[in-house]
Amino acid sequence: MSLMGRRIRGFRLVDLLAFAVLAVLILGVYLAKTIAGKERAEIATAQRQINAEKARIRMLNAEVAHLEEPARIQRLSEAYLGMGPVPPSRQITPDQLAEAALHPLPVPKLPQPGAPR
Amino acid sequence: MSLGEQTFGGSPVYRWLLRRMWGLEHAFERSRASGRAEDDTRIRILFVLALFILGFATLGVGATRAALFSDVLKGDGIEAAAGVPRADLVDRNGRLLAVDLPHFGLYIDPREIWDLNETRRDLSVALPQVAPERLERALRANRRTYLIGGLTPDQRDRIDDLGLPGVSFEPEEKRVYPLDDTAAHLIGFTDSGGEGLAGAELAFNEQVRNPGVGNAAFPLSIDVRIQAALEDELGKAADQFHPKGAVGLVTNVHTGEILALASWPTFNPNRAGEASPDARLDRAASSVFEMGSVFKAFTMAIGLDTGVATPQSTFDARQPFHLGYRTITDYEATHKILTMVEVFQHSSNIGTAKLGEAIGPARMSRYFDALGLTRPARVELLESARPLTPKVWNDDAIASISFGHGIDVSPLALARGYDALLNGGYLVPLTIRKVEPGTKVTGPRVVSNRTSLEVLQLMRANVTGGTGRSADIPGLNVGGKTGTGDKFEPSLRRYSHSKQVSSFAATFPTDGPTSAPRYFVFMLMDEPQRDKTGLDPTGGIVAAPAVGRVIERIAPFLGIEPRPAFTPFQTAQAAGPEVGGGQ
Repeated sequence: MSLMGRRIRGFRLVDLLAFAVLAVLILGVYLAKTIAGKERAEIATAQRQINAEKARIRMLNAEVAHLEEPARIQRLSEAYLGMGPVPPSRQITPDQLAEAALHPLPVPKLPQPGAPR
Repeated sequence: MSLGEQTFGGSPVYRWLLRRMWGLEHAFERSRASGRAEDDTRIRILFVLALFILGFATLGVGATRAALFSDVLKGDGIEAAAGVPRADLVDRNGRLLAVDLPHFGLYIDPREIWDLNETRRDLSVALPQVAPERLERALRANRRTYLIGGLTPDQRDRIDDLGLPGVSFEPEEKRVYPLDDTAAHLIGFTDSGGEGLAGAELAFNEQVRNPGVGNAAFPLSIDVRIQAALEDELGKAADQFHPKGAVGLVTNVHTGEILALASWPTFNPNRAGEASPDARLDRAASSVFEMGSVFKAFTMAIGLDTGVATPQSTFDARQPFHLGYRTITDYEATHKILTMVEVFQHSSNIGTAKLGEAIGPARMSRYFDALGLTRPARVELLESARPLTPKVWNDDAIASISFGHGIDVSPLALARGYDALLNGGYLVPLTIRKVEPGTKVTGPRVVSNRTSLEVLQLMRANVTGGTGRSADIPGLNVGGKTGTGDKFEPSLRRYSHSKQVSSFAATFPTDGPTSAPRYFVFMLMDEPQRDKTGLDPTGGIVAAPAVGRVIERIAPFLGIEPRPAFTPFQTAQAAGPEVGGGQ
């Protein structure tokens, strides 16, 4: 009698082996689906968080752009810092610094900080 | 022929399968024939088991493959679903101009509302922008109704915290312009469905919506810093002279890039629907103006390029000049014989008309065509307006067109023509898209390099000793030409002396070769009023000083450093032959 033809408690070995393989496969499919489903859920959660963060970053970038609006910066710098555009006559290159130190230009009259105009 | 044979033909696989099937059937028959029915049953069970195993093995492989190599890991699926419908618009330095942000729509389902009065009261306070009638209609509806969209997450949270049953939210994307009215006309706006309706949003609607673009930012040519300086100075000038409308432009003469475009009055594209059509009108692209003397630069360039005149040629401006049906006079009569440089400096209509007559209608028409002044400005903006040009180019037409009457063009068309005069003679298209550094932009040559250099010198001479003196900024060698055109009154069928279009077309720096970095700056006011000084609101009064201040402010952003003064035609030069002697 071949090995496959042997009987164990009345059942042929080949049948038992086939059932065992079937059980392993069923368990395998179940585990694969369960684990994959769990990972899918985790990935989806992470992706939702990433999307939410991306949306938040976009909101913050828009907020920064709004706060850095040049007209607003100009208004604030004029009102609170007394700053204004620098005319070409007050612009020099680094190698002209020594000459500028010898012949300084008069300080221009600017509005006092905190005095909106 | 069997179905199997039709499907597989006589292939070895099919023959093998057929043999196995017959072998199995024969095994059953042999079992029955030999009286071993249990073997028959066993073989059948084994066969069914084998089929189950095969099926589950296939399922197992498929499930494992799906788990390990799912598209979820790549992130594309979810990303695309949550992706924005329009790409961000940014300026040439990456500063955000337009962005899609998540907003929320508010829905009311009256069937779920417990306390109608409480819901009505709380929503009226939380959403004052909703008309009471509209709210009432939603509260009385017999189904779930959309009430309002565009709520920010903060607004959504505030309303959500009220805990009102029957009030729910759904996410929606909304186009937001974080810089409010900065560059509003150039950026444009979209409708609530995300379709571009004006400006760059309309011009690049397909590219911005193209899925291939994804979230990548779409860079425009403007520089927000330059735009802000231009708008600030244009606004201040408009406050001073109270025009009907005003335009400001800054372009790179070599690439045709529009670095700033301002139209006054302006509007906030976040609330474009609330703005008046007048505020939404892009006067730089959609309006045409009879601009007057800024056109003299074109006539001078044509005269120089055709060899009709040189900077030293003379023109007798002592008497009014009759050409065609017109008698041409000067705004500030010099009663002198003027060189071409002086004609330009004094903005002499007589001298320019004489030059136009010498050039002739055919050549003038050909050059105006070549300079793009007889067609809508070539630019991506769909608003680009068609100019109004003379039907016949004859002496009557020349009498007007040589100094900017009888032809109406958009500020963009004028800028394109000027760019060609200032960049060495090439007519390049204007663009509102960023041109990457190092990109060579070419176009047909319309004037020679020498003509271009001479025009630069003429424009500089006009600022050092002509009508554009108030635009001179020491160290930047500004050149320019003033323009003051009386407006035609259709009701009176004549030109008005009280309604004008005043402008100043400038370039800087004017020194160096034609290939040197150079920019064109233009400002125009439509029907400016006298300010408290009481001076005539001419281009030299209303636009030239403002252009000078713009140039002073934007030069550092453009990397233009202060330089030694450039003063062409300073030394007395021998007068050349007189041009256009006819009266």
